[in-house]
Amino acid sequence: MSSNISAGRLLIALIKKDIRVYSRNMIYLFLMVLGLAFFVAIYWLVPDQVEEDITFAITPPLATLISEGKETLLEHGVPEYMLEEIEEVEAAFKEEEGFLLVEVENEDILKKVIGRELDVYKTDQDQIIIHDPGGDKEIPAGASKIVPDIGMSFPSSFLSDTVLGHEKPTVTVFADAAVPEEIRGAMEALIREMAYQLAGKDLPVEMPDEETIILGQDRIGDQISMRAKMRPLIAFFILMMETFSLASLISNEVLQRTVTALLVTPVRTWHFLMAKTLFGTALAMGQAVIVLILVGAFSATNWLLLLVIVLLGSLLFTAVAMLVGASGKDFIGQLMYSMLFLIPLMIPSFAVLFPGTVATWVNLLPTYPIVRLLHDVTIYGIHWLDSINLMIYAALWTLAIYGAGLFVLKRKVAAL
Amino acid sequence: MSIKRVLRILLKDFSVEPRKSFFIWALIMPFALTLLFQFAFGSLFEPKPRLGIVDQGNSVITTEVQELEGFEVLILTETDDLIDKVKQHDLDAGLILSADFDREVKAGEKPLLEFYISGESLASNRIIVSVTTIEIIRGLEDSEAPVEVETVYLGEPGLPLSIRLVPLIVFYALVMAGMWVPSSSLVEEKEKGTMTALLVTSVRISEVLLAKWLLGFIFATFLAAATLLLNQAFGPRPLEVMVVIILAAALTSMIGLLIGIYSKTATMLFTLIKSLGIFLFIPVVFYLFPEWPQWIAKFFPLYWIISPIWEVSIKGEPLSLVWFEMMIAAAITLGLIPLALLLKKRMLT
Repeated sequence: MSSNISAGRLLIALIKKDIRVYSRNMIYLFLMVLGLAFFVAIYWLVPDQVEEDITFAITPPLATLISEGKETLLEHGVPEYMLEEIEEVEAAFKEEEGFLLVEVENEDILKKVIGRELDVYKTDQDQIIIHDPGGDKEIPAGASKIVPDIGMSFPSSFLSDTVLGHEKPTVTVFADAAVPEEIRGAMEALIREMAYQLAGKDLPVEMPDEETIILGQDRIGDQISMRAKMRPLIAFFILMMETFSLASLISNEVLQRTVTALLVTPVRTWHFLMAKTLFGTALAMGQAVIVLILVGAFSATNWLLLLVIVLLGSLLFTAVAMLVGASGKDFIGQLMYSMLFLIPLMIPSFAVLFPGTVATWVNLLPTYPIVRLLHDVTIYGIHWLDSINLMIYAALWTLAIYGAGLFVLKRKVAAL
Repeated sequence: MSIKRVLRILLKDFSVEPRKSFFIWALIMPFALTLLFQFAFGSLFEPKPRLGIVDQGNSVITTEVQELEGFEVLILTETDDLIDKVKQHDLDAGLILSADFDREVKAGEKPLLEFYISGESLASNRIIVSVTTIEIIRGLEDSEAPVEVETVYLGEPGLPLSIRLVPLIVFYALVMAGMWVPSSSLVEEKEKGTMTALLVTSVRISEVLLAKWLLGFIFATFLAAATLLLNQAFGPRPLEVMVVIILAAALTSMIGLLIGIYSKTATMLFTLIKSLGIFLFIPVVFYLFPEWPQWIAKFFPLYWIISPIWEVSIKGEPLSLVWFEMMIAAAITLGLIPLALLLKKRMLT
């Protein structure tokens, strides 16, 4: 006798069965909803701004420092036109990107500011306010707290001494001990360089144009926030978490031998494998797409590319679930076994989130191209042409792991 | 309640449990995480300015840059490679030093500085890398700076990342050992029916529960202490650190016990741990991101143990500084005992 049921109908029947089993399991449904809500909530909680300035305080205020310096220099017969260069000191501090300047009246206040005894607030109108937390005065409405890391105390004769070269001035730098070495070193170097310039000692090298120096899109003031970086990662984690539920589903079929019952019907092993592939991929992909919609990752130009990447990722984790599920372990055993696979697969997500900070071997992990693609498409908006190499890399890894998953699960089913 | 019976159950658990996968997993993970954080993510949360150099001669600058503290320096041989890395923000900046660079600077020939900055580099990093590079180049001139700079440090020095991550690993050890071990042991006994067999003897439910709690408590204390030892993070007050760890292990084991009592199956246990895990893990997320409003973390129970671990073991503060947090943690632990006794009837169903 031969069966008249088509492969398509068998597959649909098997997928329907999986959906029923999955939906009856309130635990997985609950976890799915909880996971989605949690990741989306985390996304909106994470800061969407990047703090990229070095905040520092100086005393005396620049205006005082410059006017006193000018006065002394005029007294020493320095012609007025030469004093214009001194104005550049003010510009260097106030207009240079990456600096946030706090000017304070005297060294005592400066020390208290750096020592956190006094707070500093910046109003909406960019006005800096020194506030005594133990005092009666209230913090101005809408003002945000800023924390200067470094304080510089210039002698009032700093400009004249440096320009005239009669005496070597001493600048005291007050640094919070927690301030990284590189910031403190750079600020000390900045003072020395400023003094070199004032003393008329030009740079010993020729500096290239700013346009030549900056490589890639200049993101000063428009840095990628942690929230934006979280976008691809959330989708990736959702894909990864689905491995647990699918592996458990497969594991149960193996443990309870339901698969052997299925195989006495017209269902063949490949139907079973295909149904699991389709169900697992659709489940993971569906959730990842929902999350990506909720975090606003899709755009008119990237939606198709993003869908293909998510599809590859879903298939990859479905394959991992097949490998794990084929072991036919009990719940706890399967959970531990899943983590054995998932922890190394999670590493590339950190590599992408913090570029340049991880070892290069991370690039060889199967999930690396998927995370990289999700990152580059959702953050940099790269297109098909730019993503082709990574796409091939991702597809090769996915196929390799999927092949292994199919092989292992098929062998397991045959052995039951 | 018979202490003898409690100890017998505990001894039985200690002889059986170490063969199980979750026990081995709980034991291995803190050590694996220590290695992972040290090797793979050495500077994950505190990215330093990253400078790449292609030195076509034997410039003194390369040696000096490599000796700088607070920088990640990468020496490359190909200029294209350097430019690619800067473009992709794998480096904040790149410096190409021609074969005659040092000689030209010394001779006052003002060579063109081949210096590149990544467009994605933070403004602060750009300043740090540029100013420091210029200062080192100035050093070639052999002229004295026209200013003296004196530095005065205020406050306490910062902590290296390897130490800052320790509470995270300790927290994991406490959760894995304190929560997983007693809860999964209880659930397994329920699923396999050994619990029913045990309860038809003279053993009381409260004795079983106390033994399971002790199992988690001892294991969590040992694992958390071993993690601190491994990371050399016992600080100047090891005894006070032990007090904090003991309290933390007591609380996590109590939570684990409750989960074990409530869960009828392993699936239910996993669901509870996974869903509660998010709730319990949140204080750690706040700890990792100190710029977030920290008061939110205080609504979550494990904040009250994370904070003392941080203060006493990492910062070396005395227990007196965290007495309030510890009192809250102790109150939560004690407050959960009546709940455990109330729920213990579930063990019979």
